[in-house]
Formats: sequence, structure tokens, C-alpha cells
Amino acid sequence: MNAPQPNLHVKARGSSELARIVRVNEEIKAIVATAFRINLMALNAIFLAKRAGNAALGFGVLSNELRRFAQDLTRNMSSLRDMTSGSVGSVTGVVQYQRNSAILAEAIRLSGEGVPGAREARRRGAARLSAQQGKLRALDIRLRSAVEETQQLVELGGVLARSAKIEAAYGGTFSPALMQVSTDFAEVIAQIKRSLEILGKERLVKD
Amino acid sequence: MKQAHCIFEEDDHRWLAIARDPSKPGHIIDTNEYVVVKGKEALLCDPGGIEIFPSVFSALSAECDPTRLAGIFSSHQDPDIISSLALWLEFKPELKCYISWLWQSFLPHFGGEESTFVPIPDPGMTISLGGLELQAIPAHYLHSSGNFHLYDPKAKILFSGDVGAALLPADHNGLYVEDFGRHIRHAEAFHKRWMGSDKAKRDWCERVSRLEIDMMVPQHGAIYRGADVQRFINWFSALEVGVLRS
Repeated sequence: MNAPQPNLHVKARGSSELARIVRVNEEIKAIVATAFRINLMALNAIFLAKRAGNAALGFGVLSNELRRFAQDLTRNMSSLRDMTSGSVGSVTGVVQYQRNSAILAEAIRLSGEGVPGAREARRRGAARLSAQQGKLRALDIRLRSAVEETQQLVELGGVLARSAKIEAAYGGTFSPALMQVSTDFAEVIAQIKRSLEILGKERLVKD
Repeated sequence: MKQAHCIFEEDDHRWLAIARDPSKPGHIIDTNEYVVVKGKEALLCDPGGIEIFPSVFSALSAECDPTRLAGIFSSHQDPDIISSLALWLEFKPELKCYISWLWQSFLPHFGGEESTFVPIPDPGMTISLGGLELQAIPAHYLHSSGNFHLYDPKAKILFSGDVGAALLPADHNGLYVEDFGRHIRHAEAFHKRWMGSDKAKRDWCERVSRLEIDMMVPQHGAIYRGADVQRFINWFSALEVGVLRS
């Protein structure tokens, strides 16, 4: 066969785009798992606050808020996951069109530029590729804005975790246990923040 | 580099063989592609896989205007036969692909819209090309369960897909079979293993014996001409097929 290298190059580029989607999905999965953990932690905290009685009334309220936060976060992440699932189709389309265009370009190069129908085929291929890339860009913008929205939500989660720490100090004999729970909350939320930062930097399509 | 060789020419009726590619990578099975040209229309038989598309396209373009391609005849569904479909459609989206009805819903995994596919019924059908009446001849189970060959009664050429295929050593580069006895040794193991049904084989031998064939052009290996066609049919008829080893 003649010069198969251009095709291999396209394969490598395509697989890096798919690899980006996989990374985004993995981060989302990690955040969903963490949100589930916060939900359970908040439930435990609510029971703990009940046992602590009047001394942990404020902590109980914050635990309820943290539970609601975990549920909102799960909802946000699930809509993010839907978006990336949809993007797999668009990325695959881009990869396929890129690969086909590159192989066709190689075929036309081997045949000489004067091959009848070559220009039309190129124009058609370019139009299809650009339409598919447009879809992916639009999806990328939606994904970024959804990540920003989630980052704001997580900021609120961070405030709740800090407030829970303050309330834990008034927990009387339950104070060490409440302090431990609120520290766990803060750590888990910091972990989510890191994942969201990574997500915010990922692009489904290169500029 | 693949090249198109004209194996039949009469007025505006031609058969091109894009056969034997000594420069292809060793891990890909060598394939032959054939183009039937009649007037302003052309039909490509078993266009091959994705990896060899550039060399098939350029070989075809050297001898024939590729915009004249009206269709693709796919003997069966294997990747070395038709995995380049999406690329041919990229070049000409309105191409029709003739394939056994059995594979009609499988082939879109390689590409194409619903309107791309023309299902061939089990008994076969006539395919019109620029006034020619080509015949899709049933060759089911040889080796695919939905399998067709293409017969051109005017040129007396039978495109026989995998039947007649030979896995030839690198130094056997000739377009035609020159020494049947030597050649057929390279076809034996292939036919024993790939052809799954003795009954289907006998049916096919009877069917094609009734046709006037000057050339039998397989998808792998060299082309059978003249008396070698009947020699092959006789040899195949006597061969035990559907066996792992013997």
C-alpha cells in the first residue's frame, strides 16, 4: 500500500479526542460517587445531631442543608453525564469524518488533483466535518457553563462544611465526634472542588 | 502499488482488474478488485478494505473516471470485501451497493444510508449497467451464508469472489494462472477451510458449468482463463470442503 502514515496520524488524533471524553466522564463519575458519600455522611450527621440534642441543633440544621446540597450535586452531575454521553456520538462523528477525509485526500493525492469529482468530494467532506465540529463546540460551551454552575454550588457546600465545623465546637460532649464529621465534610468537598477544576480545564474540542 | 489492468475490452465495454499488490503491508491479505465499465457507467466489484482504499482509488482513477461509478457489487460482507464502503460513499454519496439481502442490515455498520443498499434476493437478480445485463449468481455458503458472484454474459467473465481464491507466495505475481497444477496447490487449503458446505459447492459447480465462461476472476490470487476455468470447476467439485485438516 502507498504511504499509510497519514491514516495512522488521524487515528492517533481521533483517539486523543475520545481519550478527553473518557477523562471527563471519569471525573464526573468520581464526583457522583463523592456526592453519594456526602449524602450518607449527612444522614449520619443528622442522627448524631439528634443524639446530641439541644447542644447540636445548629449542626443538625447544617447537616440537613449538606444533604440537600449532595442531592443537588448528584442532579447536576447526572445532567453533565448526559451531556458527555451525547458528546461521544459527536466526537465519534468527527473522528470518522476526519479519518475518511484524510484517506480520501491521500487517494486523491495518489491519483493526481485533476480527478473528476475530487473537489466536490472534498467540499462535501469539509462541510460535514465542520458541522460535526460545530455540534461538539456547542456541547463544549454547555458543558463548561454547567461545570461553572456546579462550582458555585460546591462553594456553597464549602461554606456549609465550615459552618458545621463552627457549630461542632458547641456540641458539648459530642463536640469531638461532630468535629470529625465536619472535617470529613470539608475534605470531601475539597476533593470535589479539585475534580471540578480538572473538569473545567478539559475541552471536548481543541480551539 | 496497485495498478488497473484491462482484461477485456470491446467497444465501450471493459473489465479492469486491480490485482496483485506486491507493496501492500504483509499483515493484510492481498485482494483483487474488478471494475466493469459500460459506456458512461461503471460497477466496482468487491472494493476492498479501508487500508487499501487510496491505492484502489488511484488505480481505478488512472483508467476510468471515478464519477462514472454507479454502484458497488459486494459478493459478501467480509471486511476485506467492503469495509471501504464509507470512503467510496464519501466520494460519491449516491452510489448503490448490491449485497445479499441477508447482509443488508449488517453492512450499514461500515457506512451508508438505507437508500444505499440494493438487497439481492437468494435466487439472484439482474443488475443493469449502461445497457448490460449483469447477473448476480447465487454462491451461498461459499463461503458466506449470503454470497453472490457476478456474471457478465457479454464478456463471458465470472467474478467468483472467494471461490477460486489462492493465497500465493510473494514471487507468484502473475495476473493469470499459467500452470494450473502448480497454482491450485495454493488454493487447496483455503477452499477446504473456507468453503463450508459440500452441497452448496456441488450446486455452484452445476450452476456455473451451464454458463459460458472465458475468464473466472477471483477476489484473491490469479485469474483463470480458457480451459483452466473448467479445470477449476472439476477440481473444486471433487474437493472435500468444510474440513479443518486432512
